[in-house]
Amino acid sequence: MGGYGDVKLLREDGLRLDGRKIDEMRPIEIEAGYLPAADGSAWVKHGLNVAVAAVYGPMEAHPRKIQRQDRCVIDVRYNMAPFSTSDRIRPGYNRRSREISKVTAEALESVVICERYPRSKIRVEIEILSAEAGTRCVGITAAAVALADAGIPMRDLLVGVASGKVEDTVVLDLDKAEDNYGQADLPVGILPNTGEIAFLQMDGDLSPDEFNLAMEYNFKAAAEIHDIMVDALKRRYEGGEN
Amino acid sequence: MVALVPTLLRQELARLAENDARIDGRGRWEARDITLETDCLYNGEGSAKVVWGDTIVYAGVKFEMRTPWPDRPNQGSLMCGAELRPVAGRKYEPGPPSPESIELGRVVDRGIRESGCIDMESLCIVPGEKVWGVMIDIHVLSDQGNIFDACALAAIAALRTATVPAERFDVGEDHTLKVNGTPIMASFTRVGGRYVFDPTEEEELGGDERIHITLGDEGHLHSLQKGLKGVFTPEEFAEIFDVAQSRCADLRKLVANQEGN
Repeated sequence: MGGYGDVKLLREDGLRLDGRKIDEMRPIEIEAGYLPAADGSAWVKHGLNVAVAAVYGPMEAHPRKIQRQDRCVIDVRYNMAPFSTSDRIRPGYNRRSREISKVTAEALESVVICERYPRSKIRVEIEILSAEAGTRCVGITAAAVALADAGIPMRDLLVGVASGKVEDTVVLDLDKAEDNYGQADLPVGILPNTGEIAFLQMDGDLSPDEFNLAMEYNFKAAAEIHDIMVDALKRRYEGGEN
Repeated sequence: MVALVPTLLRQELARLAENDARIDGRGRWEARDITLETDCLYNGEGSAKVVWGDTIVYAGVKFEMRTPWPDRPNQGSLMCGAELRPVAGRKYEPGPPSPESIELGRVVDRGIRESGCIDMESLCIVPGEKVWGVMIDIHVLSDQGNIFDACALAAIAALRTATVPAERFDVGEDHTLKVNGTPIMASFTRVGGRYVFDPTEEEELGGDERIHITLGDEGHLHSLQKGLKGVFTPEEFAEIFDVAQSRCADLRKLVANQEGN
């Protein structure tokens, strides 16, 4: 966290700089089946974040040594487009995107019924086209919708959501300024129906009480995002709009 | 070759878990023997060796003089990386940094960085021109389980004993690096269906997901990370969080005792 204590992030009236309440999310739009070439795909806009996820497979796992005899492996690539941030990002894989890809894959392996596809691989590509804090969460949400869109059996949808702390106040869903100048960030991946957690990271400074409150916000938001995800999938398969 | 599908091991671990037992006879929240040694590498500006059960890691601190980032003209920098060399066990192979080593380095880095124990402005030599870059390199020599906690312990112990080599760079006298606090990591792995502290390599092989918790001196959270396949409930987290508080306090005492010598 940036930790510049002198940047005001809460207004006199208790609202945040963009006018949101403490426990209010940025608006979210989701479209399932966005990419014609993919077996499953999703487009997610969360605030000013835009993520596109594509799922290819199940397919044969290459090279052979990555194969698992009793289940499939999930190969996730999280990538930020060079034009996704205010300063251009050098194209290619860096340490940050490698780590995010790894823990995202492990979270998705926890919800996909991998035993259904032994020795196979499911490729999940997450492309961040526009970034405004919280891209790993948006990527997780997009990946889950894309997996469902591909018809891959899952125990539950996985919802990416984050809370954090600014000016000693716990807030839901940090925006760019709050992420840069805030005091903590707690991104999680929640299974809304079972109430379990499959993705967890955190950095900054949170007391135990603040952590509990941030988690409470995350669970509440996950239920809301879940409804939007289900809606998107229903539109795709019921309405015949696509 | 590592067992492809350690089914028998998993069954044995589940059976043990039913009786609240562990494969090496320890209690669920009990750590193996830990020894910490500091100032053990001649050329390191700070160094530490941790022997944690049969896991062995070294951490060394080096300083470099560099120009500050344009947007932070009066701040130095801190970087922490970990290498999982083939020496550490049969599952490790030579090659570019693996996702495992990147995750390890970054999780340890976040715990130290986010605790705020290093004041980046204190690393400034000449604003806009010269600052210190502090580099913590962690070398895992033997992985017999729970390398995350061992690496985090070695890193903070090495950092806390580091000397800023100002004389060698001709910018004043050598002095002790100022470190405000001792962030400590405690990690938990699901073994036989329930979480245990400080898993052995066998328990990791036959276990599931792991959770890493880094706590500061006041018991505040500074870094969390879930790794590997698996899910957990908020109730399970509350339980290990309580244990983490006391395990971190123990380890912090270990670092303090070592410094007292």
